[in-house]
Amino acid sequence: MKREKTKSHFIGLRVTKKQKEVLSKIQEKSDLSKTDILLKGLEILDEYYSLGLDRPPLSYELKELEEEAMHHSEELKRIRRREESIREMVQELRDIDEVIDKHQGDKSALIQILLEIQSRNHWLPKPALMWVSERLNVPMSQILHIATFYKAFSLKPRGKHLVRVCLGTACHVRGGQRILEEAERVLGIKAGETTPDHRFTLESVNCLGCCALGPVMIVDDEYHGKLAPSKIGKILSNHT
Amino acid sequence: MGKIKSASELSKLRQKILSKRDPKKPCITICSGTGCHAYASEKVSNAFQEELKKQKLEKAVDIKRTGCHGFCEKGPIVVIYPKEICYLQVKPEDVTDIVSQTIKEGKIVGRLLYTDPHTNEKIVHESEIPFYKHQKRLIFGNNRKIDPKNIEDYIALGGYKALAKVLFELTPKQVLEEVKKASLRGRGGGGFPAGRKWETTRNANGEPKYVIVNCDEGDPGAYMDRSLMEGNPHSILEGFIIGAYAIGSHEGFIYVRQEYPLAVENTEIAIHQAEEYGLLGEDIIGSGFGFNVKIHRGAGAFVSGESSALVSAIEGKVGEPKPKYIHTAVKGLWGKPTCLNNVETWANVPFIIDNGAEWFKSLGTSNSKGTKIFSLVGKVNNTGLVEVPMGMSLREIIYDIGGGIPNGKKLKAVQTGGPSGGVIPKSLIDTPVDFDELAKLDSMMGSGGMIVMDTDTCMVDIARYFVKFLSEESCGKCVPCREGLRHMLRLLNNITSGKGNAGDIERLEELSEFTRDASLCALGTTAPNPVLSTLKYFRNEYEAHINEKRCPASVCRELIAYYIDPEKCQACGICTKNCPTGAISGKKGIVHVIDQKKCIKCGACIDVCPERFGAIEKISGESIPLVPKSMKVKSIR
Repeated sequence: MKREKTKSHFIGLRVTKKQKEVLSKIQEKSDLSKTDILLKGLEILDEYYSLGLDRPPLSYELKELEEEAMHHSEELKRIRRREESIREMVQELRDIDEVIDKHQGDKSALIQILLEIQSRNHWLPKPALMWVSERLNVPMSQILHIATFYKAFSLKPRGKHLVRVCLGTACHVRGGQRILEEAERVLGIKAGETTPDHRFTLESVNCLGCCALGPVMIVDDEYHGKLAPSKIGKILSNHT
Repeated sequence: MGKIKSASELSKLRQKILSKRDPKKPCITICSGTGCHAYASEKVSNAFQEELKKQKLEKAVDIKRTGCHGFCEKGPIVVIYPKEICYLQVKPEDVTDIVSQTIKEGKIVGRLLYTDPHTNEKIVHESEIPFYKHQKRLIFGNNRKIDPKNIEDYIALGGYKALAKVLFELTPKQVLEEVKKASLRGRGGGGFPAGRKWETTRNANGEPKYVIVNCDEGDPGAYMDRSLMEGNPHSILEGFIIGAYAIGSHEGFIYVRQEYPLAVENTEIAIHQAEEYGLLGEDIIGSGFGFNVKIHRGAGAFVSGESSALVSAIEGKVGEPKPKYIHTAVKGLWGKPTCLNNVETWANVPFIIDNGAEWFKSLGTSNSKGTKIFSLVGKVNNTGLVEVPMGMSLREIIYDIGGGIPNGKKLKAVQTGGPSGGVIPKSLIDTPVDFDELAKLDSMMGSGGMIVMDTDTCMVDIARYFVKFLSEESCGKCVPCREGLRHMLRLLNNITSGKGNAGDIERLEELSEFTRDASLCALGTTAPNPVLSTLKYFRNEYEAHINEKRCPASVCRELIAYYIDPEKCQACGICTKNCPTGAISGKKGIVHVIDQKKCIKCGACIDVCPERFGAIEKISGESIPLVPKSMKVKSIR
């Protein structure tokens, strides 16, 4: 049903002119405050509902009011969410500005700037890249060229824990491939992917410089050296 | 601390630092290189601090967290001065014993000493351990003596003396001549004479001139540049400033891989401290010469280590190589003359200035002078970083320093030079290691990775590994490298998975030649080396894979099967429990059998089968013997 558009309000709720009239009449007669009227109305509604009567007097108006109230509270939540995310984004962009200012807006520092954004967020969100493009006056295509060329950058969100399996030559001859395969099997993802619950991101790396420990797997900053595939399940299950 | 304004002020400062330090005061040094860090050396260092506090010794004993000592196999390494008592594989639990026995009473904790595996003799002093005894630690030696975060440690050992000498006693031309006379060759791979490179940049038209330290050490299995950068950044800075002076450059960049956060951190601190002391920046040591250094972090691309690619990366572009009609030495960073050298090369410079070209030339072979740091890794007992004079044989490095092959296995080959290098078979390990001898064997020095392989290593798989690495790292700009490597990888994948055909070897050779001759940069032109050298020395392995569908080293997954020897199986059930796919059946007293259909060949069973049974075998190229159902265990030993 189409609602008449009006500016009339009743305790913050939008009401039609007709409803407003009815309500002010009630108010005049009964000498009650507006909130009391609303409560009374809702009580009546409640009574009628509990009696199983489906068309109570005034029910239509009150139902409308109830719906209106619901609608408003939903709207309010949505606005708050939007406000929050805007605030977050502003904060994020301010952080990026800080990074850019640190490099005096130097175009040749683009890789360094992206590296810092990557290390703060663990990935490169698109708005951040657009901001960098705008601030440094570098086309987005060039930024994406760099972001996809270098291994350090990720254009997708990463998991909570980063699992890195070393596939350097020393680890390879000591069975690093088997470690990676087992980690892939346990997590159910391939190297370079993130688990659907965003708990783990699995990556293979080309030498961590601790060859004496080979084969090595690093979970976040924890080194697991001289590893056997059979131990991987237990190590990963310790991380929630 | 104010800025140092003259050479005499620098030597006065050195005297002052030395006079403040009591050489007899006990000092506990703890290795904090990446290898030891992975062994949790930080916990050991914290434990020492707490223990000293508890025993009220914190003022009487110094603690120093040093750079990498090189003997990564036995980390964390703790050396106690002044007696140089060396404890290996120290755990936080051992700290109380060390403090109460060694520090307080001067006694030695025997269980933490190095034990010679042949004579069972315990060795107390670090320099007497065979791993160190056979080395010549020139560039790397100071790593274990200094705290990389403290410039005074470096100055106390005579640091920046060479710089003062250069700035006040020599002209840039004389410095250049000295380096040229020393025949210092680039340590990054190619072995190009550093002096000639410097001269080219110096004489090239265009200002300003730039200098770069290349610490984009991308070779898997090589980490000496990292350890040097982390452990002794000032030695590199000093060489760098000297080079800049000789070349006439006032601005330099240090390109460090993003994967090396500690190297970045320590270098940043070093630059900051050097500036504070007036050893970097404007008017260095009051000489009027100015030089500024910036750090550029790489973002993870192997090809960016190539000079023209590295230059693009510093400019903020994608690190792709460019055709080198004109060398970067003439036209590099922003089109200006740019001299680029590897970390180890720069670190050699102060030694040449300090001791003279003649002294430097007395080390090494006729065309390769000085020492070289190798990272000795893979199937070797003493994994670690090794610095030896050029010309030492592979045999000495692997057996005398490296302590041979673990688990009683036999040596099969050594791989040098990283993905651009080649393999050297066991029959040639008496070859002296220098730039030219390795090139003669179709391998190369590279940046110094030395990967030891035992008889359990499949050479086709190694070739496949390197080609896979390179095809992933190829930037894709030129077709021969991009497509050539892709097809080589396809052929090698087929061969290792039992789908190889007759003629594949010839096709591989043909592709190798094309890729080598037609690629744009050194990544492509050297990429076929692992294939060509394995083909040269281990062609029979390729043939076994293709013709017999057999992997002689039992590595290639599709060509092997796991099998439980019914004669040896004791039905202990460990393999059954550990099999991730439940492929092993068997009960108590009944020989276990692997269901080949369910087996994913992960090798978990072979890892867990108790050594005294050794019942699980890998079979390749033969059919799996049938085991009768419910066969009883032979004899319970």
